[in-house]
Amino acid sequence: MNNTKRLLILGVLGSLLILGMVYAYAENQTVSQPLTISIISEKALSGTAGDFTTVNAQISNSGSQPLNDITTYISLVDESNKMPVDLEDWSAEKGLFIGTIDAGQTLPLNWKVHFVKAGKYSLIIVAETAGQEMPQVSSIVYFTVKPKLNLNPGQVLPVALGTPIFVLFIMLLLNYRRNAYKSN
Amino acid sequence: MFRNIWLKELKEQLYTWKGTLWLVISSLVFSLISYLLLTDKELSLLDQTEMMWMLAKVIIGIGLLIISIDASSIISNEFEKETAESLFLSPIKMKDFVLGKLLASLSMWFFIFIVSIPYILVTSAGTKLFFPFLIYVFLLGTIGVLGFIMLIFAISLLFRSSKNTLTTSLIILLALAVPSLFSTTLKNNSFANVLSKVNPVDNIFSSLDNVLVDYQTSLLQNGQFIFPLVLFCLIAFIFLVYASKRFKRAGVVKHE
Repeated sequence: MNNTKRLLILGVLGSLLILGMVYAYAENQTVSQPLTISIISEKALSGTAGDFTTVNAQISNSGSQPLNDITTYISLVDESNKMPVDLEDWSAEKGLFIGTIDAGQTLPLNWKVHFVKAGKYSLIIVAETAGQEMPQVSSIVYFTVKPKLNLNPGQVLPVALGTPIFVLFIMLLLNYRRNAYKSN
Repeated sequence: MFRNIWLKELKEQLYTWKGTLWLVISSLVFSLISYLLLTDKELSLLDQTEMMWMLAKVIIGIGLLIISIDASSIISNEFEKETAESLFLSPIKMKDFVLGKLLASLSMWFFIFIVSIPYILVTSAGTKLFFPFLIYVFLLGTIGVLGFIMLIFAISLLFRSSKNTLTTSLIILLALAVPSLFSTTLKNNSFANVLSKVNPVDNIFSSLDNVLVDYQTSLLQNGQFIFPLVLFCLIAFIFLVYASKRFKRAGVVKHE
């Protein structure tokens, strides 16, 4: 066997080894991210400012091994301002922790959300598994919060202005009567 | 006889700037609160029932404050203007004197309540809670105000000075009102919980919350809050009886 053939065989074997490693790495990557998150209350999300709603989602482990220490949280973006929303007023539950999710198991995720301000928003759910570099995210859900219709200046203005004026008028009338009585 | 004293005090309240000015001030406060609640975008995020609850607290809070100031001077003034001596020389019973003054102070609360009706109407528009709102503000306010008037009258008869009575009354009102503004988290403590259950102002606000926010509108469902209020009135009445007897023993002109 001459040197050229040896080099060729070594080259083929080396290539096969590299391909095998790449495949194994890729396989490992897909096995390590078996989590899927889906938002199931997509249609129920829209509402009016001030309303409370529940974001219902589910997290599934489609892998063959149980997964531990998963932290899930919601992320909200104001689509009009293109800015993330500070969830302090929107949701009291910042994150949900899952100790263990067995292979093939699906668990529900629920967040109670308060619609604070009218506008167009997008929402995603993120899951972080301990020891994994890449988080898992759900698909984006878009929803609209309508402005609150509790505002009624048309009704409150006459009362807010009229009542003190009426009371003041009564006060002046009584004072006038008193002065008239005194002068008599 | 108490009727004459009541009508005399009522005329004094209505025909002077003192009494009617309180009504103008209370209507201005109600206007400001209801206007802000129904026009401010941030405040309008509150649920409508919570807006009603807030207004109800303001109505009763203003009522208690004005009545405390009014009741502090209504008896003490007789000593400070030196009219008490001539008043008690007439064939007037202590019972009639106190009852007449009490009805006059209570009338002031009724006037404040009447002024608040348009605001109650406009804030509860669109809900079915107008009548429970109206009835419970009247009921709880009247019981609370009655208890406070009796307590202040007792202090008045003991001190015989409007300045001292007013200071003491305002301190008592403040001491009772402040814990009722604490959040539910602060009330989780067992001691705070007991204090909250015996505090009349807290019971008024909790009952309003029960009616307006939780829709528990029957008297039976609010008995747990009304009973301590009635008990407070009873204690205030006993204190008033004690103060009246001590006043009679000491005489109208107090010899130091």
